[in-house]
Amino acid sequence: MRDLRATVSSVEPHPLPYFTLHLEIAEDFLPVVPGQFVMVEVGERLEPYLRRPFSVHDLRVAGSRVEIDLLGKVIGRGTHLLSTASPGSILRVLGPLGRGFEVQPHDRVALVAGGVGSAALLLLGRQLADRRIPFDFYYGGRSSIDLPCRSDFEEAATASGGSCIVTTEDGSEGREGLVTGPLGEALEQGAYGFLYACGPMGLLAALAGLARDHGVAGEAALETPMGCGYGACLGCAVPHVDGRFALCCKDGPVFRFDEVRW
Amino acid sequence: MTEPDLSTRVGPLELPNPVLTASGTFGYGLEFSHLGSLAKLGGIVTKGLSLEPRKGNPGPRICETRGGMLNSIGLQNIGIEAFLVDVLPGLRQYPARVVLNLFGTSIDEYRQLARRAEPIPEVAGVELNVSCPNVDRGGIEFGHDPEILAKLVAAVRQETTKPLIVKLSPNVAAPHELGEAAREGGADILSCINTVVGMAIDAGTRRPLLHTVRGGLSGPAIKPIALRIVFDVARKVGLPVIGIGGIETASDVIEFLLAGASAVQIGTALFRDPATPERILDGLRSYLRESGIAKVSELVGAVELPSDT
Repeated sequence: MRDLRATVSSVEPHPLPYFTLHLEIAEDFLPVVPGQFVMVEVGERLEPYLRRPFSVHDLRVAGSRVEIDLLGKVIGRGTHLLSTASPGSILRVLGPLGRGFEVQPHDRVALVAGGVGSAALLLLGRQLADRRIPFDFYYGGRSSIDLPCRSDFEEAATASGGSCIVTTEDGSEGREGLVTGPLGEALEQGAYGFLYACGPMGLLAALAGLARDHGVAGEAALETPMGCGYGACLGCAVPHVDGRFALCCKDGPVFRFDEVRW
Repeated sequence: MTEPDLSTRVGPLELPNPVLTASGTFGYGLEFSHLGSLAKLGGIVTKGLSLEPRKGNPGPRICETRGGMLNSIGLQNIGIEAFLVDVLPGLRQYPARVVLNLFGTSIDEYRQLARRAEPIPEVAGVELNVSCPNVDRGGIEFGHDPEILAKLVAAVRQETTKPLIVKLSPNVAAPHELGEAAREGGADILSCINTVVGMAIDAGTRRPLLHTVRGGLSGPAIKPIALRIVFDVARKVGLPVIGIGGIETASDVIEFLLAGASAVQIGTALFRDPATPERILDGLRSYLRESGIAKVSELVGAVELPSDT
């Protein structure tokens, strides 16, 4: 973990409220494990006061030139400021932080994202493709706009020998309903040896239940409010099955399904 | 000019410089070891330690507010035993002095905690947490009643020869009266302030942003409150004071010293920038050099008041 000054290369707009922040960062940032995150200092001093957590969505390394992508959703003032950052501006980035996904050999796995939770899964997908582990990417959103960077996931899944399955709650894209629909059917067929997921807690809890029912193990990257990102403030409590509160930032953000008291 | 002297005496507590980290904002110290700050600090105050490990409150435990944040961690901690055995040895290599923040739910628990810390040479002092707003029992009930506080401090005093710090609550009408009670009980030093009780609501969901509804406000938003209490307590109680509350720059530190603090603790600013203590110390050195001040202690209580106050 280092606190580095990153330069905004560009902000790529997606259908509102989503955006991708492209940042040039020193080589020292590496290595990064899929599922790890960064804490980004946001422009002004008093509001927002704290940094904002983002998954490392994508990574490009060319010689000593390192670029990372952060996929965000404009929710409040902090994310609004980031979505309008000028190219060339400097942001301090603390990271990479936390425990990432563990890639294990399987015949076929499923990656499951709810909305902008997809940000934690692209690097993982690329790594799986590199290791010739085929994966299907289940992408669920409220409506068609809530599937940012969909084509990147489609490409990565195809490259691995899998495909991308889209669901929307309003039926505006793909199959109508929740990702748990088609995923449940595939699990019924015994399609996957492992699940990787990121999204809202409700979705993750449902996935953990589904996985358990089908005897499949999995990991999920959790999202909680965070103060510091490195284990000092104890603000990001996650109920652990052993009865204590784990810290999302340090013990996670990636937890095995069976570690969390959903 | 020679390098300004940052060494600091706070009553019986001697520090390499006046910048410490505040309880609950620096983990147990080692969380920061790879960020560099640890080697430069004057001292570390640990997360509140209890006799047994504590689980803490359910989330959400924190939320951001303008110029600060609310927290309701509920004193999650590994317990004093695990701290002394597993963590303290790792802190030995650093010059920062280690102060144990102690939290109990009865006078006897505080006594036992102090007794456990007493023979440990690496423990430079103990700070009694009698002002945590986020737990059902203990802490605050000792910090809001002068009579009970005096009794508690006197009981702990019997158990410890180490510098004894009492951390005061801002959530009372006259914090200096609690400071006087702590002095009568035998405290060496007062630290002020703990967080200010506050609340935040999400207008969209109509729900409080913290699971426990109320929480402790910290960050730049509380600095003026802290400065006023430090000023009052330092003038009225006659014990050395450690200032805490929204400090994030060298200028903030100088203001607290002028108000009467002998040292300061940095808290919430660490979450935004873990390198805050180093930045502050660099700034403090430059300020002293440029002002031709040889010793940082010359600033303590040196605020210049209007003649008719």
